[in-house]
Amino acid sequence: MNEPIANSPPSPASGSAVPGEGGVSPDARRPWHKRRLLPSSPLYATLRWGAAGLFAAIVVGLIVSIVSQSSQAFAHSGISFLWSGTWNPDAGDYASGTLVVGTVITTLVAMIIVVPVGLGVSVSLSELMPRWLAAPLSTSIEFLAAVPSIVVGLWALLVLSPVFATDVEPALEGLPVLNRIFRGPAYGPSVLLASVVLAIMTLPTVVALSRTALGGVPIADREAAMALGATHWQVVRRTVLPGARSGIAAAITLAIGRALGESIAVALVIGNRPAIPHSLLAPGATLGSAIVNQFAEASPGLGTSAVIALAGVLLLLTILVNVVGQLLVRRRGGRRLLGVRGAVV
Amino acid sequence: MSKLPSMQVALDGAMPDMGLAEVARRRLVVRDSARRSIGRRRTAGRAMQVICLLAVPIALAPLVALAIATVSKGAGALSIGFLAHAPTPEGVPGGGISTAIVGSGEIIAYAIALAVPLGLFIALFLFERPGPIASAIRFSADVMSGVPSIIIGIFAYAVYVERFHHFSDVAAGFALGVLMLPIMVRANEEAMRTVSVDLWEAGISLGARRSRVARSVVLRGALPGVVTGNLLALARGVGETAPLLFTVASPTFAMTLLIFNDATQPYPDAQQTAWGTALVLLALVLILSVIARTVAWTLNRKTR
Amino acid sequence: MKQNDAATDTGANHETDQQTLFGDRSGQLAKESRVPAGKPDAGAHGTAVTLDDVSISFGDHVAVRNVTLQLPAREVTALVGPSGCGKTSVLRAINRLHDHTGGVVRGTIRLGSLDVYGTDVQPEVLRSRIGMVFQKPNPFPTMSIFDNVISGLRFNGVRNKRLLREMGIAALHNAALWDIVKDRLHQPALRLSGGQQQRLCIARALAIEPEVLLMDEPCSALDPVATAKIEDLIRHLSGEVTIALVTHNMFQAARVSDNVAVFLLGEDRVGELVEVGPTDRVFDTPSDARTKAYVTGHVG
Repeated sequence: MNEPIANSPPSPASGSAVPGEGGVSPDARRPWHKRRLLPSSPLYATLRWGAAGLFAAIVVGLIVSIVSQSSQAFAHSGISFLWSGTWNPDAGDYASGTLVVGTVITTLVAMIIVVPVGLGVSVSLSELMPRWLAAPLSTSIEFLAAVPSIVVGLWALLVLSPVFATDVEPALEGLPVLNRIFRGPAYGPSVLLASVVLAIMTLPTVVALSRTALGGVPIADREAAMALGATHWQVVRRTVLPGARSGIAAAITLAIGRALGESIAVALVIGNRPAIPHSLLAPGATLGSAIVNQFAEASPGLGTSAVIALAGVLLLLTILVNVVGQLLVRRRGGRRLLGVRGAVV
Repeated sequence: MSKLPSMQVALDGAMPDMGLAEVARRRLVVRDSARRSIGRRRTAGRAMQVICLLAVPIALAPLVALAIATVSKGAGALSIGFLAHAPTPEGVPGGGISTAIVGSGEIIAYAIALAVPLGLFIALFLFERPGPIASAIRFSADVMSGVPSIIIGIFAYAVYVERFHHFSDVAAGFALGVLMLPIMVRANEEAMRTVSVDLWEAGISLGARRSRVARSVVLRGALPGVVTGNLLALARGVGETAPLLFTVASPTFAMTLLIFNDATQPYPDAQQTAWGTALVLLALVLILSVIARTVAWTLNRKTR
Repeated sequence: MKQNDAATDTGANHETDQQTLFGDRSGQLAKESRVPAGKPDAGAHGTAVTLDDVSISFGDHVAVRNVTLQLPAREVTALVGPSGCGKTSVLRAINRLHDHTGGVVRGTIRLGSLDVYGTDVQPEVLRSRIGMVFQKPNPFPTMSIFDNVISGLRFNGVRNKRLLREMGIAALHNAALWDIVKDRLHQPALRLSGGQQQRLCIARALAIEPEVLLMDEPCSALDPVATAKIEDLIRHLSGEVTIALVTHNMFQAARVSDNVAVFLLGEDRVGELVEVGPTDRVFDTPSDARTKAYVTGHVG
């Protein structure tokens, strides 16, 4: 410890020590975050480490409690709980297979809707529109992100669902070829309606992150293309979109994560029939919607444990997707790696 | 999205003819191609631009429809009595949502008490201690912010409700706090990162204690970002339903639960109440977002 | 980053030094294309670009005004002067890059006999006749080396694979890059060093066989060794293509240019062209007092 500091008057815990003189301490050569000219005040250090420790405890606690509480269901159904069978508590059948399929289908259809729309909006806002128009529009779409999912669900159930039942779904049934996946009867609540709701709810995620990625493509790249005789669209298509592709991929991945985990709004509009839907117009169920609907009715013990096991499966699914998404966001060199793959001779 | 097909041909690399006549021929090829293709290129580009622009009204339509529906149907329910009276049983007129407003307020207060200080200290930890532990915490915060809210509800149920055998606003506040925490941590840390490390370093090398540097340099500089991030996380927490589902004793004790419960009732009165509550909630969330942005904007201007 | 690139540049390619870059042709070409001293502005091959009373402004701010200048065909014209005096603005006016940044160009610019800002001119077609090299190397990061070179051809609708291959190789030879990249044409362009990336950008610009090559301080982000290679390349290319080179480096202008145009800031902070002529004449016996002060301050 430095001499002047040892002589300085004892400071309160908040610490306002006056530095003494003394030359450059050997400490100055250490990386800045390892320097210890003065010890951290004990209270402050405790608070920081305590907070970090508490956070770690929460994360670990979450995983441990889900795993331990679902063990009874896994003991009952075996590991095949993950994929096989139907969810039928009355018959004592507990398995997440149909619900996983329902979750994947709704998410997939939602992405088929939201990705083209979201990309179109991002490109419009970032590349095609003047600032005075793009700024308020993008604020509106950000506002959509702030709308609580229960409000979206309420609107979808009481306003959108009747429209689907009377107009949209009959129209889809009339389509040639596609009517194989759009088979009636038209109820309103359906896998398709749930997917549309998910698309609406994930749109802000896709737009915000894609737009950031598009805006991050340097002007120098755009001007290089422009100076070679590229039209405005060619600049966007060949320079801006490829340059932003890792960011766009991350945006889509995070949107998938959100769609997988959304429960309340989906529970309101999917119709809640835990079976593999034969058509997009049929009611179905997802992991999230099943948890919402089954938990209150679950019998104590095995029933509750099975619902918590569903939460475990959902957790696994979303963590997987989110880890991939976070890696995509972080890996700035990602586009180089992709570039190699795209150009193998 | 097809990418430019790469040249898949072996290139022999023989020096091409560089004679003036050859250069002139090549030049003619490019000029000719550019002139002849420009009409097609521009038309194709315009078509794609129109397709992109069409996505904008498609994206905005649900937002507009939702806003119109909520305001028009919710406004009918709103009155002083609606906000001030307790709910009445089905069929009895004159009920309000006062218990839900109070309940939501309590839950949010618990959540703030947990998440705001914790989020601040965790962010300070991440900021001051780069290293494997910080990286692990940062990564789990990122992953946690993607964990579905329903799972956090289950977690709170397992930790509190099942252990103490009763539903409680404390459990609900804990769930919301856990939900908001990762968002706050990341927002706080981002805000601190905008404060130059040099400033932190200068403070430390002047001999000030870490806590003082944290208070006077880092937090002051990061304040706009911290306030904005926390308010936005709060706005998200206020609107959450799933974490409350298994922790709150009755749907009449939280606004979002009340909407969920009443939306599925066949009675017009109940649906009316749901719309009214949705409008209150929407206004609350909007106000929080606007305050967050305004704070960021004004504090940013002041510090500059 | 840049330093590291430079190290690999010199380390990996020291066989391609100035002598072997172009064999015997380089020195010869340089001498041939140099305008004989004393000959007036008109080049040996006529005029490629004519600027007549050109002023450029951004909103209320006038960047540069009343520029009247001719770029002699197949010669190097250096645009020199202190920063902020509008050299780059003039350069970007020639291929209408100001169209997208809100810059307003007054006066007349002609490419050959074509009025660049004429109402029936399509900017994309115009730009396909003019190559441009920027301050920092900006190869397309998602494309391979070879795809970068032929990107301009593809933008302009060339689809014939044989043509693309032939013209891409020719451009790489022209930019003295072929021997360095021939074994890794399909690697990402960002794997190249900074100097190699800039030569790749030159190859990309040359692939569309431009009549005029605009170079905006192409060496400002490069180390001396890479700079020397680019300068060598410029000397080599003069005689084949008209080059307008913006630089603030008077030595560079003296080394590579046939003609020099000196821009200075006027009293009201607006850029002006104060003197133009053959490089030797302007540097040895400047006719304008301000040029003399500027040139002697930087060269003498």
